[in-house]
Amino acid sequence: MTALDAVSVYTPETSVPIENLAGPLGLTDIQVRLFRRFHGLNEVRLDRDRSLHDLLRTAVSGLTALRGKENRVHYVIHGRAMPVVVPYPENPLHDVCRELGLGHALTFTVTQQSCASGLLAVELAGRLLAEDPVRDALALVLTGEKTFTRDAQLLPGTSIFSEGASACLVSATGRRDRLLAYACDQRGEFDIEIGESTERFQREYRPALASVIRRATSEAGLTLDDIRLILPHNVNVVTWQRLCLLLDYPVERVVLSNVATNGHVFCADAFANYRTALEGGLLHEGDHYLVAAVGSGNGATFSAMLFQH
Amino acid sequence: MAAPEAEIDVELRERAVDAIAALLHRLLKREEPITEDMLMAEQLGLSSSLGLELLLEVEEQLRIQIDVETMDPERTRTVGELATFVAGHGRPW
Repeated sequence: MTALDAVSVYTPETSVPIENLAGPLGLTDIQVRLFRRFHGLNEVRLDRDRSLHDLLRTAVSGLTALRGKENRVHYVIHGRAMPVVVPYPENPLHDVCRELGLGHALTFTVTQQSCASGLLAVELAGRLLAEDPVRDALALVLTGEKTFTRDAQLLPGTSIFSEGASACLVSATGRRDRLLAYACDQRGEFDIEIGESTERFQREYRPALASVIRRATSEAGLTLDDIRLILPHNVNVVTWQRLCLLLDYPVERVVLSNVATNGHVFCADAFANYRTALEGGLLHEGDHYLVAAVGSGNGATFSAMLFQH
Repeated sequence: MAAPEAEIDVELRERAVDAIAALLHRLLKREEPITEDMLMAEQLGLSSSLGLELLLEVEEQLRIQIDVETMDPERTRTVGELATFVAGHGRPW
């Protein structure tokens, strides 16, 4: 059974108040106030002096559980929202793998589910490991992105992105945290360029996310009452407040504390919120928790993964 | 989890109806009359992001803070329903 053996997160130290981004992003005063009042966004983390290569390398270097096990890593999967991030033929993912003794691993990137690609990467890692003839083979799932364009900095009226990265060691046989269920709906009709209207996407966003959350819970043989925590995507606070009303789930059990200070870190939110839950003593052995993500861009993806700690 | 029932301040509700209607006229660039029974999304075309802008401006005009945590969009679909919610769940600054 797919298990998350260890998770490491890199969050840049530099915090930038969202007011400082108003000029560069062309935000009006009311848009900034909306982000603070309802979206719960106060500041974002940026690391202008560090490249994507640096971000990934720092996240992997922080994964102490990997040390000495590099030769067991058969797969490295980068779950990423942005399809293109460096000029050809640069490849920071492959460079980092070579530098850190992972050059032998089958290494690739998935971007097809935008910000939900991190969960897709975990699911793929589990499937590859399940078919691997070596029983104790491992996979490394990475996330990490730079906010290098306006599109990579801002989801208008919805969220502001931060930079950051994570590294997650996945095994097929680990004791924890075990993946019990994965539900994923891909909605091509919400393609950002040729799809349905933004208004329809906004209207169906919460019901669609609620649907995969309920399905993952049900597939694990559980009810929402059994779920100790939800680790959200950090798109904003108001979305989760309203989603919780729809789910009849207490918003106090959704780990939203990183939204105000870290913004939305593409595919890394799930892993950062996991570390926050762990370090805050919010998860105990045997607890069930749910990780949720939404990707939008070339179609929309709604994902939920259910784990037991 | 439904929003808890709250006592309605009738005077505040009236001011909320007026403020919401005036703001909808401005935000949606609409000249036709707006009445309490109108569905804001379906009939008037209010998106959820413009809906938040509407709430922010209502808060500022009425000098209250609305308890948005308990606000169920399904129960605040008309101008009148939103005004009732605002009157029952708005705390003075």
